[in-house]
Amino acid sequence: MKNILIIDTKAGNLFSLQAAIERLGHSVKILQQPDNASYDGIVIPGQGRFGTVLKNIRENKWFSYIEKELEKSTPILGICVGMQIFFEGSDEDPNVAGLNWFKGCVRALDFPKKPMVGWAKLKSKIWNDKVVYFVNSYAVKHSEICIAETSYGEIFCAAVRKGSFVGVQFHPEKSGKVGSELIDQVLTGGLREIV
Amino acid sequence: MMDNNLLPRIIVCLDVDKGRVVKGTNFKQLRDMGDPVELAIAYENQGADELVFLDISASNENRPTALKLVTDIAKNLSIPFTVGGGLKQLDDVKAFLDAGADKVALNTTAVLKPEIINQTAKAYGSQCVVVAIDVNKANSDLKFYINGGRQLVEKNFSDWTKEVAERGAGEILLTAMHKDGTGSGFDTELTKSISQQVPVQVIASGGAKNEEHFLQAFKGGADACLAAGMFHSGEYTVNQVKQYLLENDLQVRI
Repeated sequence: MKNILIIDTKAGNLFSLQAAIERLGHSVKILQQPDNASYDGIVIPGQGRFGTVLKNIRENKWFSYIEKELEKSTPILGICVGMQIFFEGSDEDPNVAGLNWFKGCVRALDFPKKPMVGWAKLKSKIWNDKVVYFVNSYAVKHSEICIAETSYGEIFCAAVRKGSFVGVQFHPEKSGKVGSELIDQVLTGGLREIV
Repeated sequence: MMDNNLLPRIIVCLDVDKGRVVKGTNFKQLRDMGDPVELAIAYENQGADELVFLDISASNENRPTALKLVTDIAKNLSIPFTVGGGLKQLDDVKAFLDAGADKVALNTTAVLKPEIINQTAKAYGSQCVVVAIDVNKANSDLKFYINGGRQLVEKNFSDWTKEVAERGAGEILLTAMHKDGTGSGFDTELTKSISQQVPVQVIASGGAKNEEHFLQAFKGGADACLAAGMFHSGEYTVNQVKQYLLENDLQVRI
């Protein structure tokens, strides 16, 4: 059992995410500001706009907290906008600077039907052909730290990894058993094929 | 149409009354089908890609109970779900989304107060807004209705589908009333034409009785298909339908 922290960016309810992690046998703490306790893994949830979530992350001193945790190699899972904020910027809020931790920008998906809503297959070395649930109008098209791709009119990056940070564009908490397995892999620090 | 890589979705619809899943087109004879959370889990395990709970929120007196039920579903399900029926104002929508619903389905309220589509999309994102449209075909004329199919709307149906998309709906749940209960399959032509006209996903509903109907609808361009009776009766499991689709070269989530 791991102690998992969910960062509450006040952008939506966290019931599904919390329950998904608890079903895996981990305990969950939800915080709006960092505390001094130590956690085995951290999740940045995938609700809200790029600009609003960034404002919250900056105002509540989460970025320096996350940086310190990454130095300690604490597993961190960023979901959807919780991953996007680490890039340079986003078409969703062009006047807001991203955390600039990864190269590249989040772009509007070039497909007439938006948002992308539904299940799509991953193309990946580790999670190949796994089907996960996407809900997004924006995505990172190219990234040197991409570990999974999918397409919606065009190919985009479905997951990234840098050190102990894994970011996913899809919603693993809504992706059935595959999603649960994936959350567990990230939070226990061992990405591998899902059988 | 460009390749969008999304797999066709099978959505199971559950009618909820006083905290229980019920069945029956005749409102006087509602049959108790069981506990919503248990049934939801069962359908997830069968391979449903998504669930819709209707009328869960209809009665105002039971509001706290309905909200708690939605939270219980959110805690137990690891696939997306929509709630609809009886959401009359933005506060209702907010309450159910905050309680854990992934999406709300708006039908009558969307027609009476169309700005609620914009407001919900702005506050929560388009992905949370499904606009349900009950359309009926009489003499090749398409008319749409509110209040459970009882009240005709004096608006052009095709214009309305475009308007809801412009206002920020993320999906359209299109129920063909002339197909509902017939068991003759989805209105594939209708689904296809709306799906091509409107820049959002279209969920076909009404008329499904067997696995072939799903194949026809998906091949005809439906992004998702919704059914209730054929699954509730136990005649088919979602997985059986998906196996049939697979055998017919349609990729689905297994």
